[in-house]
Amino acid sequence: MPRLARSEWYDLTRDMNWTLSYVSDEDVWPQDLSNSYGIPTEKWWGWDEPYKITYPEYVHNQVGKDASVYSINAVLSRSRIFEELDPGWKSAILAHYGAIAVPEYLAGIGEARMGRFGRAAAWRNMATYGTLDETRHGQIQTYFPYGLLAKEPRADWAHKTMHTNEWGAIAARSLFDDMFTANDAVSTAIQLTFTFETGFTNLQFLGMAADAMKVGDVDFGALISSIQTDEARHSQQGEPTVKILIANGQGEVAQKLVDHMFWRSWHVFALLTGLSMDYYTPLEHRTHSFKEFMEELIVKQFMDQFRDFGLEVPWYWKEHFLPELDWYHHALHLGVWFWRPTVWWNPDAGVSPAEREWLEEKYPGWNDSFGQYWDVITANVRDGHPELTLPETFPTICNMCQIPLVNPAGFNAGRLAHPEPLIVDRDGRRLLFCSEPCKWVYEQNPARFAGQLSLVDRFLAGHIQPPTMEGALAYMSLSLAEMGQDATNYAWAFEKQLAVPGT
Amino acid sequence: MATRQRQQPKTWSLLGDVRRRPSAYEAVTAKFHYHFRREPTPFEHPGMPLNDWYLRNREGSPFQVDDWEDFRDPYKLTYKDYVALQHDRETYVDKLIDRHEESASVEGLSDEWVSTLRELYIPLRFPLHILQMVGLYVGQMAPSAYITNCANFQAADELRRIQRIAYSTKMLANAHGDELAATATARSAWEKDPVWQPLRETLENLLIAYDWGEAFVALNLVVKPSLDAVVNWRLSELAERNGDHFLAALLAEFQQDSNRSRKWSADLAQYALGRQPDLRQVMEGWTAAWTPRIEAAVKALAQPFDEAPVGLAATDVVSATGTQARDHLQACGL
Repeated sequence: MPRLARSEWYDLTRDMNWTLSYVSDEDVWPQDLSNSYGIPTEKWWGWDEPYKITYPEYVHNQVGKDASVYSINAVLSRSRIFEELDPGWKSAILAHYGAIAVPEYLAGIGEARMGRFGRAAAWRNMATYGTLDETRHGQIQTYFPYGLLAKEPRADWAHKTMHTNEWGAIAARSLFDDMFTANDAVSTAIQLTFTFETGFTNLQFLGMAADAMKVGDVDFGALISSIQTDEARHSQQGEPTVKILIANGQGEVAQKLVDHMFWRSWHVFALLTGLSMDYYTPLEHRTHSFKEFMEELIVKQFMDQFRDFGLEVPWYWKEHFLPELDWYHHALHLGVWFWRPTVWWNPDAGVSPAEREWLEEKYPGWNDSFGQYWDVITANVRDGHPELTLPETFPTICNMCQIPLVNPAGFNAGRLAHPEPLIVDRDGRRLLFCSEPCKWVYEQNPARFAGQLSLVDRFLAGHIQPPTMEGALAYMSLSLAEMGQDATNYAWAFEKQLAVPGT
Repeated sequence: MATRQRQQPKTWSLLGDVRRRPSAYEAVTAKFHYHFRREPTPFEHPGMPLNDWYLRNREGSPFQVDDWEDFRDPYKLTYKDYVALQHDRETYVDKLIDRHEESASVEGLSDEWVSTLRELYIPLRFPLHILQMVGLYVGQMAPSAYITNCANFQAADELRRIQRIAYSTKMLANAHGDELAATATARSAWEKDPVWQPLRETLENLLIAYDWGEAFVALNLVVKPSLDAVVNWRLSELAERNGDHFLAALLAEFQQDSNRSRKWSADLAQYALGRQPDLRQVMEGWTAAWTPRIEAAVKALAQPFDEAPVGLAATDVVSATGTQARDHLQACGL
């Protein structure tokens, strides 16, 4: 191997910052693509990545990682492992592929934007690796479900979700376009890498990989843990960017960018990961509840980060965020299960007697709050009327996060002061928000978000024809074969409570 | 809801009724850019300022065909293939360096040749970094992932070349003086030396060629092919003449990356012309605008070739580079 240690020559790979002479700074780094927040050009040149890597190290490492993951897939795709997976777990990975696979590829656009419009050569180099990484993640996470198409037609959603107007797709597109596909380079570093990847996905992938291995889904476990090792590296572009903003008196800007994207990420995270962890993962393989996971990993990590960088916890932390850990994803789960024909996976009710016992233990009071809805649903199913558990109307949708409002369930669970959404009348239009932070995010930058119609707005505006449930399902690109059904064909409703020994 | 069996699908539904099952390369590349020509705006919230940017510079570019999704990278590279390919090539470079570190060949280079390298080789990481930046611009603006991936891999190839230049610069500095590895040595040449100014002017202007079609044509059909010809061919030849077998072999190695860039670029140009013959005028307009700029840059860079201990006539550098540039345009159908 070449004799010079990386540290001896590394700086020569990252010092290509120079003063422009023939064109202007404003033309080369337009604000829409690279918001400097008023920090002078040369101040950015001190951008220093905490994780050092060279191109030869990159390709030498990555080739081994890819070979390993693809060879596991090659072997397992010929086995019956997928067919034998728990139905709830299958739903979890189908939901994951649909919401994450192509967006990861598109995060490569955000990375390439930082690779072009990042304000230091060192940063642009890191983003070049990030661009490659996200190409990898998009390709590998479509390749695996591609191999499942013959076994599971819903795997098609790993590819098509972002092309559709399925409500979850609209929510994901709204989030990811805001975060990276249509974000400027500086904000992307704070919002994609510092907030979303360091804060959420890095840890989520660790958790999912561990869960996958316990469930016996070696294929998905190997995939996810391999992706996580890339995320751990390229997510570190946020830290030096935050440091430069703070060192140059723009800490408030960094704080707002974090507050904005932490909240938005939380809502989609609760929808995707909250349901997977607390309802779809087989009970015997759950090591922690979603709330415990959030508290022990996400919340703790964020608190540490805020302290390390001199940021504050977001303004909504105690009043809105921490309380939602107790109820928001339970309410979403009810809604997703009820409106199951509108999603591309089969929601697992996850409320057998043993599961309810676990939920009550992890979320004291769950039976009295959410359990009461499931009592009615269970009774209808047992009475042979599952049709009564299906929707005939539409929910209202938040004009920020694009997720259906579940405020009444939060209110009935005693977690919200009132069941109604927050209403804002602006420019002749009535906007509905699920929460104060969603309203705040919108109002921080109304020009950015105004003009978009939620799925329900489109329905009311006559964009969805015919204006019926069937018309809406067709608008969402859901064929009859793809519409979600109960994952276990209601088996949970007929499970008996285990007799207590001695009685 | 009743369950209904769907016919076993051959491939992604978005690819339609295909006659043959798409390859793995196609399955992980086709139709990933959901935002291209999306109505009413590329991105979900119409108020996002980048909608205007993409509508102006991508959907609004004169470089349009009805469908970009039939374009194929002639090498059909997925990420997995790309890193496997470059892992092999970088293993070769590692061994090349091993061999020359063992023989201490860099220590034997003459002061005069080192002086040529100081002027002509060491500053290279600056202009090549701009090629990396513009490559990523083309990647993020391209209307199909089939194109995006080629451009992004090309940008990574620039990173590759820069890093080996950085390593060899440090080898030179260890043998011939620390100052060779100082940032100021490369930066001041790049910012002030007349040899570099026409190239710097060209590349700074290339950075703001924001129409995606123009960025692609200017970078991949005109500027990069010529600059690569100077760096990977002429400079390699000059190094060989001056007994610097290490540098000659190192730069020649990068010819492989250049050739790959030229091949996919030519295929894309031909694809565009095949789909929309009227594009010839647009593309030739761009090549006509950028060719004199890069020619002036090559002419300035050719001077130090003349002045090397064993020189290469500046006129020969210019004419050989011009020949390569014209050959490439011809391969592009222009």
